[in-house]
Amino acid sequence: MSRKPRAESREPRAARGGASVKGALTPERYVPAGILVFLLVLPYLMPNPFYVHIIVMMAIFVVLGGAWNILSGYAGQLSLGHAAFFGTGAYVSILLVNAYGVSPWITLWLGGLVALVLSLPVGLICFRLQGPYFTIATIGLAEALRLLVLHFREITNGAQGLTVPYKGNAPWLLQFDSKMPYYYIALAMAIGVLLITRRMERSRLGHYLVAIGQNQDAAEALGIDSAKAKRQALMLSAFLSGMGGVFYAQYTYVIHPDGAFGLGLSIQIAMAAIVGGVGTILGPAIGAVIMGLFTQSTQIIFAGQYPGLELLVYGGLLVAVILWRPRGVFPLFERLYQGLVARLPGAGGGRA
Amino acid sequence: MSQARVLLDVEGLSKHFGGVQAVLDLSFQVREGEILGVIGPNGSGKTTTFHLITGFHQPDRGRVQFDGRDITGRSPHEVCALGMCRTFQVAKPFPEITVHRNVLMGALLRCPDPTRAAVRADEVLARVGLEGRAAMAAGSLTTIDQRRLEVARALATEPKLLLLDETMAGLNPTEVDEAMRLIVRLRDQGLTVVVVEHVMRAVMSLSDRIVVLNQGAKITEGSPQEVVADPRVIQAYLGKEYDRA
Repeated sequence: MSRKPRAESREPRAARGGASVKGALTPERYVPAGILVFLLVLPYLMPNPFYVHIIVMMAIFVVLGGAWNILSGYAGQLSLGHAAFFGTGAYVSILLVNAYGVSPWITLWLGGLVALVLSLPVGLICFRLQGPYFTIATIGLAEALRLLVLHFREITNGAQGLTVPYKGNAPWLLQFDSKMPYYYIALAMAIGVLLITRRMERSRLGHYLVAIGQNQDAAEALGIDSAKAKRQALMLSAFLSGMGGVFYAQYTYVIHPDGAFGLGLSIQIAMAAIVGGVGTILGPAIGAVIMGLFTQSTQIIFAGQYPGLELLVYGGLLVAVILWRPRGVFPLFERLYQGLVARLPGAGGGRA
Repeated sequence: MSQARVLLDVEGLSKHFGGVQAVLDLSFQVREGEILGVIGPNGSGKTTTFHLITGFHQPDRGRVQFDGRDITGRSPHEVCALGMCRTFQVAKPFPEITVHRNVLMGALLRCPDPTRAAVRADEVLARVGLEGRAAMAAGSLTTIDQRRLEVARALATEPKLLLLDETMAGLNPTEVDEAMRLIVRLRDQGLTVVVVEHVMRAVMSLSDRIVVLNQGAKITEGSPQEVVADPRVIQAYLGKEYDRA
């Protein structure tokens, strides 16, 4: 996992365009606003609900990739078991909703909380050591949970999984007869994760995670409690992943052990962030969109003829990214964006 | 100088790796406001001693007291937070981020607010003469500037005691002079400094006292003049160069 030093540095973008005249209509202002408006009207541009479903799934992966990025991206602690937190959220939610009629609006938080609690022993045990132990532990955790869920059949319904009974249009139960409300909830969650990441990146914890990812010994020598910083990041990451799992379960109405805790899902989560660009705010979001398009197009092209083939293509894509774009595609997008902003009318701080 | 308070008290420190006795029953003291030199041939246990004092290795036996507190077995970040910061013999920059942000990481220890820490980082960079490199990625610095960065990051944590591990290795004579002036200036500003150093000219003129190690044990301790005159030192280490002089 060693990274080569580069002439250009990996920095959070400083507040650019801060010098612009107050209230001036600069591209730095109207382009993000335009993107937001686009995202708000996006489902209405879709020809049918299936396409809305695709963008909801992308938004869920923005949440999951963004949550993964907080620890694994910023601090370089590779997790290949984030499905553990996702699946915990999903199962906790469906079990509570079905058994006690708890509203998913509440299980959204409870599922995150249980995932957070689950992460505590992992953090306490693994972060005393450097090396691959954390990665191995995350894989083991997800696999152990998968087997437990299979074993306790009376509660979890084993391999068949659990379903949410359909109640029609019931907003309190997070059930809607259209895909539109789901899209806006998923969009809000995705934007929320990105805003949390931005806040974290600018905090002391965010700096500390970057230092740890760069060189843990040097970080320790500068008074950084690396184990504590990683534990805090893992807690936040697990919480958000758990919330993502709750939303996914309630949105799809069905959850089963392989889907919720499988290694495939953990790899997909990591891939979204890696393809997009680890340790950046927007990288995982871009990666989630790319991976979503990719998954859909491979499924359409191969049309279920060759099951598992998309995994092979995933592998190829991952190798390609690591070889040619080790920082993901985010730097490319950033350059394009900056080029665009510089050329649009009103550029240059509204001097014109 | 001899009446000054003891800041660091190392007593009976021992450490072995497999069959190799890296440090053996080592005791010495560092007094407030002094520059202590630690010298010895390669493999005599200087860097291991730093590792033991700063918590990167756990000693087999012995005790380390810093600023009146027993810090034996404390982790590196705790030791740093108590006011003892070290540099590494092989520089360990955070390679992909800027020089300025490297120093900011140290400054965050005492200034948790990143905006204020950034200002502190600017001040520290100016103190070591790296302000012109602030925006460069630390990994692209020359070896010498990486050493400066090591010192800058350590200073940003506002230590009482600074441990410098071969900061001058590979520097040309002008740069050695510059580094020496910096260390003296830091001491004059109230810092206590321990230097592990191979550049004899620098250790001899910088240090108030020198501890000489050989094969993990202290063979003598004293002023530079006493140490140079000590036959055991000449035999163990300085013989070749100083016999002829």
